[in-house]
Amino acid sequence: MTIQKVILAALGAAALSFATMGSAAAADGVIKVGAPLPLTGPLSPEGLKQKQGYDIWAETVNAKGGIKAGGDTYKVEIVYVDYASNTPKAVQSADRLISQDKVNFLFSPFGSGAAKAAGGVSEKYGIPTIAATASSEAVYNQGYKYLFGTFTPNRTLTEPLADIVLGKKPGLKRVAILSRNDLFPTALAKEMAKSAEKRGLDIVMSEKYAIGTMDHSSTVTQLKASNPEWVFATGYINDLILIRKQMKDLGVGAEVVTMIAGPAYQEFIDASGPLAENITSSAWWHPAVRYKGDDVFGTTENFNKLFEAKYGAAADYVQASAAAAGVILQLAIEAAGTVEPAKVRDAIAALDTTTFYGPIKFGDTGQITSLEPPTFQIQGSKPMVVYPDGIKQADINFGVK
Amino acid sequence: MRDWLILGVGTLLFGLLALSGDTYLLRLGTMLAMYAVLAMSWNFIGGMTGYPSFATAAFFGLGAYTSAILQAAQMPMAVGWAAAGLVAGGFALLIGLPILRLKGHYFAIASLSIGEILREVVNTSEEITGGGMGMNLPLLRLPPEVQAQAFYLCMLGLAVLTTAVAILVHHGRLGFAFRCIEQNEDAATVLGVDTRTFKTAAFGLSAVFSGVAGAIYGNWVHYIEPLDVFDIMHSVKPLVMVLLGGLGTLFGPIFGAIVFLALEEAVWRNFLGVHAAVLGVLIVAMVLFLPRGLATSFEQIARRFRGKAA
Amino acid sequence: MIYLQILANGLALGGLYACIAVGFSLVWGVLNVINLLHGSMIVLGSYIALFAYTTFGIHPFLTVPIAGGIVFALTYALQRGIINRVIAAPVLMTLTLTFGLDLIFNNAMLTAFKADYRKLILENPLGSWSFSGVTLPVDRIAAMALAMLLTLMLFRLLKDSRIGRAIVAVRMDRDAAALMGVDVMKINAITFGIGGFMAGAAGCLLSIIFPISPLNSTVYLGKSFVVCVLGGLGSVPGAIVGGLALGIIESFGAFFLGPEHAVTLAFSLLIVFLIVRPTGLLGKKGYE
Repeated sequence: MTIQKVILAALGAAALSFATMGSAAAADGVIKVGAPLPLTGPLSPEGLKQKQGYDIWAETVNAKGGIKAGGDTYKVEIVYVDYASNTPKAVQSADRLISQDKVNFLFSPFGSGAAKAAGGVSEKYGIPTIAATASSEAVYNQGYKYLFGTFTPNRTLTEPLADIVLGKKPGLKRVAILSRNDLFPTALAKEMAKSAEKRGLDIVMSEKYAIGTMDHSSTVTQLKASNPEWVFATGYINDLILIRKQMKDLGVGAEVVTMIAGPAYQEFIDASGPLAENITSSAWWHPAVRYKGDDVFGTTENFNKLFEAKYGAAADYVQASAAAAGVILQLAIEAAGTVEPAKVRDAIAALDTTTFYGPIKFGDTGQITSLEPPTFQIQGSKPMVVYPDGIKQADINFGVK
Repeated sequence: MRDWLILGVGTLLFGLLALSGDTYLLRLGTMLAMYAVLAMSWNFIGGMTGYPSFATAAFFGLGAYTSAILQAAQMPMAVGWAAAGLVAGGFALLIGLPILRLKGHYFAIASLSIGEILREVVNTSEEITGGGMGMNLPLLRLPPEVQAQAFYLCMLGLAVLTTAVAILVHHGRLGFAFRCIEQNEDAATVLGVDTRTFKTAAFGLSAVFSGVAGAIYGNWVHYIEPLDVFDIMHSVKPLVMVLLGGLGTLFGPIFGAIVFLALEEAVWRNFLGVHAAVLGVLIVAMVLFLPRGLATSFEQIARRFRGKAA
Repeated sequence: MIYLQILANGLALGGLYACIAVGFSLVWGVLNVINLLHGSMIVLGSYIALFAYTTFGIHPFLTVPIAGGIVFALTYALQRGIINRVIAAPVLMTLTLTFGLDLIFNNAMLTAFKADYRKLILENPLGSWSFSGVTLPVDRIAAMALAMLLTLMLFRLLKDSRIGRAIVAVRMDRDAAALMGVDVMKINAITFGIGGFMAGAAGCLLSIIFPISPLNSTVYLGKSFVVCVLGGLGSVPGAIVGGLALGIIESFGAFFLGPEHAVTLAFSLLIVFLIVRPTGLLGKKGYE
């Protein structure tokens, strides 16, 4: 029985050390923002992007002296916790950050599912929380007052796209919709179906595929048989790369092929090579947009410049949104003149301004309503913005083989 | 008897913890209680009866969803929780009949597949379960400390109940039958033990409390989705805990749960990025060097190290 | 007409499945060890192919022996050093052990290679063949053909060589084989190593077809399970039959029931077969 005794003793010691380990209250002059992220596991690529966005904001703010609120100046410290792409752990991380590490504010974990789950924690404690990567309206439908999001609802990705496509090809009729069976891709596919029905299009195929599908041949065969003019596929980057390849393998083409959310990432273009040509997509932000505001970055170009200097590559919408979350928090604190949670929460809800990321105004549910998500198309292995007209870089091409 | 005394004292001590308002400790405590329930549940079928089940996650998830669906239909929480246990237990009895005819690896795989199938069924039944989008559970409008205490006490209560049942089983006919089956099922059959009924009973027992744990868990975190509640780790971790604490023993699973959770929390705080690997090392070391879990003496470890049988 | 295409898809997929599963089936059937590292080994093979191509320009089909060899060495060492210690232990122990080992290994790959999905894009893509209304991508056919070739070579190895016969002997009766002078420890390790070789080779061939990431390992492992149970353990024909059966059933199943049900279908089949005919279509029974 000797090991057991050793372990019991060790546990006793550990328990004591845990008990005495509670964090000190937030040090004067520092605002702590909790950021639970999937730094390991399947979602780690996205988690790391979010971290890049937060970091560049924190750096830029601190370099300029910090956040000024009601006569005091505060430095920003982001407290990271890795929840290993596991949603229940994300919820625990949020709880830990608030109750143990005593953070003043919180940035949501990655994605709609985890943000929704963790939102309950923020609401419980009354800690203003900004979700940088949650777009589905289902995240914001729980009546929470302390949760805000920087992505507009999914329909803002599908409506403008439908307008452009039908604007240039009014005779187009046949749409096929393919989605992965989890929160964001399914919600997005539903919006696409609505946009299509609204315009009298025929949905010739509408299917969901399971997470972890290795082979889409049956689906793509069905796709071919249904002879669509527009293929709309949602999923994560690996699914979309594979679907695109299998479309090529089986000889399926269409006038328009839209994929969300892979093509915004350079990784998709690299992995698909020539197959990426003429694929369309929408996202909530694109480095080509041009906005000017009173935030710490000032203009989109300045943000791009700083980001490329630090990370050696252009930002995509994930990093920009994460940085925007920081910017929004800062603007609200400054407007409220205090770091008191309830007052900052009200200040966020009342924001009506422009930043490097775009115009900022939140709706009743806490989700942002003011953005105009750009639609873009990959031409010559580069993403070119085709909408809105104000920042258009190219016209949309038709025909994907 | 001595075991009841231990249970009573343990309940008291852990119950006192609820008085502290420290939400972090209460959260850890709730997780501990939950894992104690899952580990004790698995012990019925895996430890005592010797059938390596990987279905714990299936029952956990089934319980969580049963409770969530009922609460979405405006049923009170307590009803949801009770139903969770009944549904999970009933399901286990039903599916146990065919798959308990299998042994060893085959049984393990079959039990694992149950969880996978349930998960996909939930995923594709969007109207009832929300599918891939998950389900919300009603948020209690209570201060966070009170909520933390309430859920801790509920989970603790379940753990106490499960342990009480375990004590009864261990010292009773059921336990005796289970151990007979584990030692030599054919001999047991020859001696007239109704192995089929007892095996199925063990399987059912392993499901009931796991199902209720899933239900309480759902209300505790306010939101469930298929990938979380049917996660295979909910099957693997209890197994590892029981191995740690001593396969088939009475309080072993609880002991294993304590050690495992303590280790997990320590690793999570300090080893960003490699926690899976650390868990793996723990498991490998345990299988190779600790044949009787933490009840192994240092001597036995040394002998294992030198390559001799313990 | 479309049914012909679905069938063709299923056969092409099935051939790949057989290749994925044959090493797994061998280890399970002969050693009675379920090697939960199998999926990760396949992924490792894919990465070896990826790096060989992007760094040295070697075509993945040529990297097959290299990938196979590296994984062989790795699994041989693993077996000899660690797994052998618990070879006679109950099922629970061996399962748990390989699970723990896979956790370590997969985590190591995630740390080294990151979770990002990579793709091996050939400079000269192989294109597709079309005939009588059926279109098939050449890369799948080529990979499947090579996989079949390897599998057949394995089959001959088992039947004709001394090592092969020793392996079969151990499978039939371990103690008798030992009494006949077979070094059972070494055979165990070699069998495991061969399983690893096939996994690495499979990974290499799959590298041009599927995206590459450590996250795929559980998917490959899952398929291997189903193939083994469907086709029967420890035999090459069993893996082929099981693989083709799974491929065809999945293909038609996805077509008639919808792709979202594909996973459910595979696991349901698994349970049904386990209950009704655990020895698989070819009836080679594994250990209990």
